[in-house]
Amino acid sequence: MGKAEVKLAGMGEIVFARGAGVLGCIGLGSCVGTVLFDPRAQAAALAHVMLPEAQEGDAAVQPGKYATTALPALLRILDTPPAFASRLKAILIGGGELFQNRSQALRIGERNVETLQRLLREARIEVVFEHIRGSSGRSFELDVATGLIRVRAVGSNFVEKDLSAALGILRRAA
Amino acid sequence: MTTTLNELRTDALREISNIGLGGAVTALSDLTGVLFTLEAPQVHQMDTRTLSELCWMAPESLVVGTVSRVNGDWPGEGAFLFPWESACVLWQILVQMQPSGLDDLNELYQSVINEVSNIMLGNYLQAISQMTGFTLHMEPPAFAADMAMAVLSSILVEALYGQRELLAIETAFKTPEHEFKGYFLYLPETGNLEKLFGVLGI
Repeated sequence: MGKAEVKLAGMGEIVFARGAGVLGCIGLGSCVGTVLFDPRAQAAALAHVMLPEAQEGDAAVQPGKYATTALPALLRILDTPPAFASRLKAILIGGGELFQNRSQALRIGERNVETLQRLLREARIEVVFEHIRGSSGRSFELDVATGLIRVRAVGSNFVEKDLSAALGILRRAA
Repeated sequence: MTTTLNELRTDALREISNIGLGGAVTALSDLTGVLFTLEAPQVHQMDTRTLSELCWMAPESLVVGTVSRVNGDWPGEGAFLFPWESACVLWQILVQMQPSGLDDLNELYQSVINEVSNIMLGNYLQAISQMTGFTLHMEPPAFAADMAMAVLSSILVEALYGQRELLAIETAFKTPEHEFKGYFLYLPETGNLEKLFGVLGI
């Protein structure tokens, strides 16, 4: 994976890949990298979600910024009608609370995670992998062709998992 | 954009920050016995698209940071960020030792950084208060040590909450005596800026 060019979703952005390509986010704190994968099209779309709910007038500008607008936007990009959303698979990375003991904590990481999990449940989209909550920042890369995901945190924390079966990635002839 | 920031107002914000940080850096010099100097403050008026551009360090490099809520006539968030190596310089000067790594970052080391932030932000607010007559209170700092981008984005997202845009007044400070660079950010609530400009008569 390392040398393949990674399509990175910056804060509030959405990136897409079909068949091949690597999608990822760098330095997720309270933000949540939200991937929807369509097994039928072998395509994935990733939103770098910053906040749980859209503010009036802002959603149209950058739908990837909010949980409530990011999921419909990901469905549109994957060309999936909401009625067929349940065929999609989801991955959630991030939503940490890096600053401990805040006196007026807004708990944005937790609220991002809660909102996304609720919306995915309502759309009957299965979450096949998550690396969420806790107190650490994360970066990740997902290889859309192989289903290999790599999650990095500071220190020696590193997770690598083959999600090809969970995502329904078709096996290719060797 | 909901705030009108013309050149005069941007200059005023820069000057306010200069005066505030001047007091803060003097306090840090008094505390450490080392002379610290300020770089010229910069005012960034940002939407989401440009947030990532504010990360001055390698996005996955380890940083130590604090953020404090400021209440009163000029509410917002005050944040300090130190690259790990710069935090080690502060620890060496102030407690004559440094953690071997993230696992060794105990409460003593955290309280040193919190205290530095407390003193600097306190002096920053005091200088601004003297100039404007504003009443300003800060809450105790919250601490984090993690990837630069994760720490910075967590600060920015929280400050952005409930606002359409984000205004960041950024200043770096350094010392010729050590490999050190510190970053200060003040993220005022944009809805409360008129009061400041009113006091300044602009």
